[in-house]
Amino acid sequence: MIHYFVPSSLKEALKILNENDCYIFAGGTDLMVQKHLSSGLLPNFDKDVLFIMKINELNYIEKDNEGNIHIGATTRYNEIEASSLIPEIYKTVIKEIASPNIRNMATLAGNIGNASPAGDSLLPLILNDAEVVLSSIDGERIIKVQDFILGVKKLDRKQNEIIKEIVIKPQELDYFYRKVGSRKAESITKVSFLGGYKIEKNRLVDFRVAFGSVSTKVVRNQEVENKYINKELKDIDIDSVVNDYTNLVTPITDQRSNKEYRHKVAMNLLKKFLKEIKGGRDE
Amino acid sequence: MEIKFVLNHKQVAIDVNPSMRLLDVLRDVCHLTGTKEGCGEGECGACTVLVNDEPVNSCLMPIINVFGKEVITIEGFRETKAYKVISSAFADMGGSQCGFCTPGMILASYAVLRKNPHPTDEEIRIALSGNLCRCTGYQAIVNAVKLASEKGVKL
Repeated sequence: MIHYFVPSSLKEALKILNENDCYIFAGGTDLMVQKHLSSGLLPNFDKDVLFIMKINELNYIEKDNEGNIHIGATTRYNEIEASSLIPEIYKTVIKEIASPNIRNMATLAGNIGNASPAGDSLLPLILNDAEVVLSSIDGERIIKVQDFILGVKKLDRKQNEIIKEIVIKPQELDYFYRKVGSRKAESITKVSFLGGYKIEKNRLVDFRVAFGSVSTKVVRNQEVENKYINKELKDIDIDSVVNDYTNLVTPITDQRSNKEYRHKVAMNLLKKFLKEIKGGRDE
Repeated sequence: MEIKFVLNHKQVAIDVNPSMRLLDVLRDVCHLTGTKEGCGEGECGACTVLVNDEPVNSCLMPIINVFGKEVITIEGFRETKAYKVISSAFADMGGSQCGFCTPGMILASYAVLRKNPHPTDEEIRIALSGNLCRCTGYQAIVNAVKLASEKGVKL
């Protein structure tokens, strides 16, 4: 017997989660596909479901005194796109997610909780060291999105914890984003790439790279990034950077693409990004 | 569980499982069959309805998520002046052929015109990017939205 819980406060939700193993259901745009059987039939949930969209206190976008932006768990993409508090890079990425109709339902917290390697919003979150605040009956803990997602559909989440909010930092970098899919709207990413950088006096003072859909989780490696930070632009050797990433990018073949194509495109996007940093016009 | 919401301007209370798709509630419980099911997974937009004036895929929305909200289907929208302007623009420009996508297209077109009364071709294409049409090749639909924009969609 599946139970469906519809709390209207976070406190109530935490109590339910403490006593029941639940799917946490926000916008539902992934869960409703995963659990769909056939028209006219109920979604096929195999354990209890906690619907959270009625928890109004989790619907917010707020800036704190340090300039960090807090996005509540039930805040939908369309609300994030429309907010003046949200850094441009997040809007750029979100505008290419699914379709306007789906963005009127889907949440950012849901994209994190779904932990798909093809989750587009994860790239800017991970590149910019965004954090999630997890809430449980025992209190709160804060964890980086990069550490929270462990692999395909795997999270560092205890059964009684819920994503309460996402904390993102103000934008300080220049960005290069490309999403590769079969068509413009409604496409699930084959490969995605987000690079961030900051140049001061021909020196690379910040350098970050994230790849999506090419491994069990978004690929970001701070060790490689640190090798190039504070280098003069003329000393950045494109082939050497590509060499550092070539073994970190380990795509698979599935119904959307194959591993050879994904690897090739990922490396080409990295090259294009590096050329842009170095000031070369790309073709 | 009793779900209360406003359906086509009337307050309703429907006793169904909270996970039931809004699409199934509309078609099977309320017998409003203007809302169509195409793909059933949020790709095609045939099931588009308005929730608080925003277009959504009713195949992906569990009924609980419209609790306390206002749902408008093509049957409710048909009573408005905006419908007359948009539907006649679709007819004039050949924006509808087999008709299966049309209820969703009309509601998505209304949603873009409501926010942006004079959209560019590109803005129309983006706004309708979640609604597929296999007959028209889209240009006729874009033309229809432009014509409706010129005639003015009175809210």
